[in-house]
Amino acid sequence: MGYLGEIFVMAMTAIFIQNFVLARFLGLCPYLGVSKKLDSALGMGLAVIFVMTLASAITFLINKYLLIRYDLLYLQTIAFILTIAALVQFVEMVIQKNAPALYNSLGVFLPLITTNCAVLGVAILNTTAFRSDGVTAYNFLDSVLNGFFSGVGFTVVLLAMAGLRMRLEKSEIPKSMQGMPIALIIAGIMALAFYGFMGWKI
Amino acid sequence: MKYYLKLGLILFIFCAVASGILAYINTLTAPVIAERKALAEIQAREALIPNAEFEEKESDQGLTYYLAKDPETDEILGYTFIAADLGYSSTVQTMVGVDSEFKVLGVQIIDQGETPGLGANCTLPIFTNQFSGMTLEEIYVDKDGGVVVSLSGATITSRCIANSLREGIIDVKDEPNPGGEQ
Amino acid sequence: MNFAKELTKGLIKDNPIFVLVLGMCPTLAVTTSVINALGMGFAATFVLLCSNIIISLIKNITPSKIRIPVYIVVIAAFVSIVDMVMAAYLPALHKSLGLFIPLIVVNCIILGRAEAFASKNNVVMSIADALGMGLGFTLSLSLVGTVREIVGAGTWLGMRVTPLTYDPALIAILAPGAFITLGFLMALMNMLKEKK
Repeated sequence: MGYLGEIFVMAMTAIFIQNFVLARFLGLCPYLGVSKKLDSALGMGLAVIFVMTLASAITFLINKYLLIRYDLLYLQTIAFILTIAALVQFVEMVIQKNAPALYNSLGVFLPLITTNCAVLGVAILNTTAFRSDGVTAYNFLDSVLNGFFSGVGFTVVLLAMAGLRMRLEKSEIPKSMQGMPIALIIAGIMALAFYGFMGWKI
Repeated sequence: MKYYLKLGLILFIFCAVASGILAYINTLTAPVIAERKALAEIQAREALIPNAEFEEKESDQGLTYYLAKDPETDEILGYTFIAADLGYSSTVQTMVGVDSEFKVLGVQIIDQGETPGLGANCTLPIFTNQFSGMTLEEIYVDKDGGVVVSLSGATITSRCIANSLREGIIDVKDEPNPGGEQ
Repeated sequence: MNFAKELTKGLIKDNPIFVLVLGMCPTLAVTTSVINALGMGFAATFVLLCSNIIISLIKNITPSKIRIPVYIVVIAAFVSIVDMVMAAYLPALHKSLGLFIPLIVVNCIILGRAEAFASKNNVVMSIADALGMGLGFTLSLSLVGTVREIVGAGTWLGMRVTPLTYDPALIAILAPGAFITLGFLMALMNMLKEKK
């Protein structure tokens, strides 16, 4: 299998088979919190893809050239979370200055991303991930791509959820089930549907 | 400007103190973790081939394996190694013991992070015990025409364990001189 | 405001999971069994307690502009300590909680309590708040864990509690079961609240 095949496997795994939200339980707070409207879900999704890709790149370099080289792996959690917090802050400032239009659509979501566990999750998972042969550890490009595809996987289910919840507003739901409970049950049914992808080994 | 320098300095002090504390705790816990891991490996090895003397070796393929000899007669009792392969959601590591004819003596899953209720059941004796006595040709899961009964709902995990076992055994078997006298 | 009131509010009135809906990721991910739920609950409570104490102690010397990064450093330090100590002395639990131990850092409950409570109150009150919230979190996790373990595996804390004729509904300990169980439990809480 060539490198393109490897990328295909990675994309399928991150988006469908091991979806961040539905199979790994990462990034649930925004998934349940920002999925009431389609356009805000899209904004959040794009912001997450952007930050996850960048964070994967930077944390990979920090891990390889600082933490592993100087035997400081016990500082991984603290180093990664500070990097992500600083990165989010930095991205916010750059976008605000250079692309005001983009800032208007993504700006409100950026501060929320620091505490999105999917971003820290993908950074940590990348450090222990292997390619489909089970031997080769992720290199720089693999990590960046994995960050990107994981973000796409997050966005796909966020959008699907937002679409469902908008329709849900028009339906009659028992009072005690309104809001969060019904959203969780729908997420459960969605996770069940995504189980259809399980057992696929490409 | 001076104000921002002060902010940076305060943040830096906090990071430095936190790193210092973590470094100290790490010196306390790291040896315990390493020791526990080594001990678990030794115990798993000795459970598979009891009353033997182990000698560390490395195959041409880079696999570390242990040669088990009877301490009195120097007779080769078998080999143990750790087989590892990517399962459904984690790398599954299996401690394998084979006799001098490369028949499986026993296996023990030493590390896995598979789905609870499905793949994670690979640690149960009902799954691991079936490997005892199998020959190289038999270690394929039932779907691939072998005799390994897959865990229900976890063919990928079962197949990964069977495949890693087979590869490891071939690896040790193909050594020009696995007993390694000369 | 008194100590007892701060201590009990986390259990029911401001329950972090069922009322505030915080910390969803560990709630769903590690509640496949009661023992995992308890492990996660105590780990998070320990981090919450320590970070609340430190943050209420340093609240006067941290400039408000960099308070969030400082809180994150404090929390991350305690999380790393829990991570290392658990790996050394409770390796099996450490393995099954896995990724979710480092992820305690981004658990909104902890940063949320630091910002909303510990940075404004004294040490004693912050301890009460942390214990109450931590206990509420642990109990809620155990409740979800109990339902999922009994339905999905027929056991409780590893002991068989259902009759042997009961065939466990495996779905409850898989990912979809997590969402559905929590959804129904939350609906149940809402129903009880309405009745009052």
